[in-house]
Amino acid sequence: MAPLDPHALDSEAFLEEVHSFEFWFQAVEGYLSERPYGHRPDLPEPELGDTEREGLITTLCSYCVGETIALEGASSMVGFAPNRRQKIFLATQVVDEARHLEVLLHRLLALGVTDPEAEIARRGNRNLLAFKRRLLEFVAGKDWEAALFAQNVILECMEFTVFQSHARTADPLTREVLEGIVVDERRHMGFGENDLGRRLATAPHVRARLAEVRKELDPLVLATFEETQSALGTPRANRSTLGRDYLATVERLGFDA
Amino acid sequence: MTDPLESVAGAREAPRQRYTLEETGFNEVPRKYRRFYRRWQGPGDSLAPNEVLCPVCKVVIRSTRELRPGDRVYCMPCMSRLVVTEGENGRLEARVAYA
Repeated sequence: MAPLDPHALDSEAFLEEVHSFEFWFQAVEGYLSERPYGHRPDLPEPELGDTEREGLITTLCSYCVGETIALEGASSMVGFAPNRRQKIFLATQVVDEARHLEVLLHRLLALGVTDPEAEIARRGNRNLLAFKRRLLEFVAGKDWEAALFAQNVILECMEFTVFQSHARTADPLTREVLEGIVVDERRHMGFGENDLGRRLATAPHVRARLAEVRKELDPLVLATFEETQSALGTPRANRSTLGRDYLATVERLGFDA
Repeated sequence: MTDPLESVAGAREAPRQRYTLEETGFNEVPRKYRRFYRRWQGPGDSLAPNEVLCPVCKVVIRSTRELRPGDRVYCMPCMSRLVVTEGENGRLEARVAYA
């Protein structure tokens, strides 16, 4: 049988395929099977110095805050997503976010954190908590465009960028966990950018309102970038490049970089 | 949408080189689509004439035929519809097509 050429699909067939539960199921099978808690079970726990371990725990606590935001946001958005395709995709995102939270909690336990929930409450990034409050207001108001922009463009793009950067310098075990999450984040931010892009193409007046949302949330996102990199010990000179992907995304959507 | 590859103008162009796609270890989409994508290896990597980089998620998209400006390709890992364009340096690039 000839291989199925995805580029030969018509646009509607492509969108139907990539939003489907079946597509998600067969995709995650490729990179998650035989990786309980996001990594190969035979990978040894790395030996970390006290400073490195503390920095990693603080960072993972903030990642847990971010994943909890996305879990709560995505699950609530299923209820007011405008169509069936979006609802099904968001249902797969909910599962992804729950898995991310679980593997990160498991990583904290492996690092010797006896009460991860308490540690997250103590160390979780305050800017992200402020972001969460605002996102959940958009969700409570069933404001699809603002919620999608905040969650699937701003938050997911930040997570994609930070996790990808962190994976390059992380210990092998943390790296595998993060790489598995990054693959999921590709879908989430792609869904956000493309759905919003289609919407803005037919309703350009929405852009002005989202520009206000962005003005409000950008400082929280950029402060989170900075604090995460500080906890990881990233040289200051390298930090500015981290926001590049996020800025490129908002520019593609027609917002000033 | 008319596929530019099937257009009359397209038919008059020089024949396109065809490519047999092998598996690259890419495992982020269902098995039947995996050979159409590969991971970007960073600054030392380069794109073949049948490849273009997704600007959204930085995965390399592969086609069974040489790509040309105006072609439509899909990035399944991030669900983006893309149009191939020629960049300032003459290299092929991809632009997201929302509409």
